[in-house]
Amino acid sequence: MLATTLEARELSKSFSGPPLFSGLSFLAGAGLVAVAGRNGSGKTTLLKILARLLRPENGSVRVAAGDRELLGEERRRAVGWAGPDLAFYEDFTARENLRFFRRAAGLPAAEAEIDARLARVGLAAVGGRRVGAFSTGMKQRLRLAFALLMDPPVLLLDEPTAGLDDEGREILAAVVAERRAAGPLLLASNDVRDFVAPDQTIRLGR
Amino acid sequence: MSGSNALARIWAVCAKDAAQEARRRIALASVLFFAATALTLVSFAIGPAGFAKEERGQLHAAMLWVLLFFSSATGLPRAFVREEETGTALALRKTAPGTLVLAGKTLFNYFLFVAIAAVTVPGLGVLLGWEVASPAAMALVLAASGYGLTVVSTFLSALVARAGQKNVLFVLVCFPLLVPLLLSSIAATVAAAAGELAGPPMRVILAYDGAATCAAYLLAAAAWEE
Repeated sequence: MLATTLEARELSKSFSGPPLFSGLSFLAGAGLVAVAGRNGSGKTTLLKILARLLRPENGSVRVAAGDRELLGEERRRAVGWAGPDLAFYEDFTARENLRFFRRAAGLPAAEAEIDARLARVGLAAVGGRRVGAFSTGMKQRLRLAFALLMDPPVLLLDEPTAGLDDEGREILAAVVAERRAAGPLLLASNDVRDFVAPDQTIRLGR
Repeated sequence: MSGSNALARIWAVCAKDAAQEARRRIALASVLFFAATALTLVSFAIGPAGFAKEERGQLHAAMLWVLLFFSSATGLPRAFVREEETGTALALRKTAPGTLVLAGKTLFNYFLFVAIAAVTVPGLGVLLGWEVASPAAMALVLAASGYGLTVVSTFLSALVARAGQKNVLFVLVCFPLLVPLLLSSIAATVAAAAGELAGPPMRVILAYDGAATCAAYLLAAAAWEE
């Protein structure tokens, strides 16, 4: 399989004020990339831009498999994202949510497939419970399952440890250890303990 | 993306909206309540014998489309607005392109329109003594006009979903865009009630449907995605 890379070129973004970042460029291959910075430094914004959930004012983002740039649907599936403002349908169960998002993405959504993904984040026992009744930590685990839903080679995790208990942190650590070898894994956090031997660090807000 | 895959994804979005509606019944309850209230008030104000027979055709047709327009304006904008308000829009954007999401939500809204029409048309018949000479022609007019109304309403819902005062904005933008369709729909409805399928208004309705579909398809990504 061709190595997947994520490249940011001269990214700039501001929200009616001084720029959060300007002229930001980096190339990420397989490995853990720590996105660090104080509150309000633009970590969440950067990850949303990389996930194409937000437009930069300037610059571009390129996702490539080998030399071939991924576009459209291929690119959408190649980048998994989870962040604090990722919400789910609260009237639906966790299983129904994942099943719907798999189907909307045009991917198979068999029961066994969904159950395996819930088990991966330790939610197998509560997969039939409404998301509206989930605790903060359970929702955080579901966000991780969502980020992994399309088996993306590029993973963008924004504050993934917020609200997690010890078991949740262990699950996340296992995912990070496994996925950092598979492709670029960008992890944004205020807590330096979340970065286990990063291969690269992007520091914002200096 | 294959055609069957795209259809399955559109259906997934439509089925999700239908499942949400089945659990909460907010849109259906609000539009049906609005339609029932308006029908009752109109029937008391005008009554079956309030106007001469030759004047009733125009009046009933106009009444029908006023009811359908405002009932739709009550329920259809929820399609995208609800996704923004509950924060699920991000997950949906990450999962499917705007064109497919718009198509899925349009399909669900079309079913909602059919439910509104299924209550409103017989309601007018019973309460105002409205007789439709050609039910088949009437069904055709409702199907074609309802499609245009649904496509435009759903697309505008995507457009205003992130704006402030979205409900007011929706009606203000909707009205001028839908006037050509509504005028032709009234003319076609008068003809259908008299037992004819009027050619010129139907051609306008079908042309409007085609133009609305093309515009919505081309602009869906700009309206819904970042």
